Amino acid sequence: MFPKNKTAFSSLAVLVFGVLLFYIGTDGFQAFTAEKARVNQLMDEKPQFPDVTLEDNNGRTYSFTEFEGKYVFITFLYTSCGTVCPELEVNMSEVYKRIPEEYIGHDIQFLSISFDPKRDTPETLDTYRKAFGSDGETWRMARIPKQQELKSLLDRFGVIVIPDEYGNFAHNSAFYLVNPKGHLVEVMDYTLIEAAAERVTEILESGGKE
Amino acid sequence: MMKSSVYGLLLLLGLMLPPAADFLESIMITHMHMQMPLLVISGIFMAKFFQNRFTGFFSKWNENGVPGILLFSIIMVYWSLPRTMDEALTLTSVEVFKFISLPFLAGVPLRDSWPKLSSFWKHALIIFFTILFLALGWLYIWSPVQLCNNYLVIEQITLGWGFISTAFAMVVYLIYSYVMDFSKYE
Repeated sequence: MFPKNKTAFSSLAVLVFGVLLFYIGTDGFQAFTAEKARVNQLMDEKPQFPDVTLEDNNGRTYSFTEFEGKYVFITFLYTSCGTVCPELEVNMSEVYKRIPEEYIGHDIQFLSISFDPKRDTPETLDTYRKAFGSDGETWRMARIPKQQELKSLLDRFGVIVIPDEYGNFAHNSAFYLVNPKGHLVEVMDYTLIEAAAERVTEILESGGKE
Repeated sequence: MMKSSVYGLLLLLGLMLPPAADFLESIMITHMHMQMPLLVISGIFMAKFFQNRFTGFFSKWNENGVPGILLFSIIMVYWSLPRTMDEALTLTSVEVFKFISLPFLAGVPLRDSWPKLSSFWKHALIIFFTILFLALGWLYIWSPVQLCNNYLVIEQITLGWGFISTAFAMVVYLIYSYVMDFSKYE
């Protein structure tokens, strides 16, 4: 039962192994970077926003349940960041402008969370928010003062933050949407403003039935 | 003969030591361009042991060297995916697979296949890796996004240039082998 040409047979076996290896390693040719895999996994798991205490740009402190019953559109940033974060926040403000006004504040809350609580005091956040046209109410900027709580949130939402030697952080960025029950339902590409705005509007229009 | 296999095993064990592994993995370019090639080299050293042990297997199933070199290429391409490099740092199973696949599924077949290959296949392989490395270099340098979550963008760019330089070295070799007649030296 052995084929005549053994090397052709073993080459074929090796190729099959290769296809299998790549299939498994990329979740069925879906995710070639860990970031894509992370997003896919988050959308599957729909993790719950953990119970953390936020301190916002007005110095108010409250738990995340403050936003219960509303969708929450979230980004993660730190204000000393000179690269991605300003772009992320500008794009967030573009999404904010594209959401029909009647939903703002009632059905959806915008929230920028700082992962640098040491430097990002309420005062700093209040200055920073103005640069992006955030009103400090329907779009708030907040820090999570307790390191432990911050870590649990970052871990659960798959936000990877690596401090570098210059006091900056390397981090992955995305738009996150949490549903009224506190479950993460969407992780969106922060560079695709229109797509994100459309998706969020669609969800709001459907009244959360999706 | 068997001495080289022992050295290969020692090299592999040395690379597996947590301090050595952590150090090489802490920088992206040493992870990809030092640790991974060293793992392959440990396999090249150890190949003699397997060739002696399973003489029939290698001569039968890898007679012309093509299946072996195919396996080598697949493993190398697999470990050039940004995701696998990232996950080697975060998932133990992927890390273990790295320490097994690179020596035994890339190093060993490379040693067994290379002398069996015709010069056509040898050049085809080098051309393939030159193109692959140029493409990866391009990807890591000019990619607008951070491809690996565990490394900084600046390290990603360094790695990209590492790929381009390696590709350049292979181009130099290809030109050299085209111009020179190696058989005169053999």
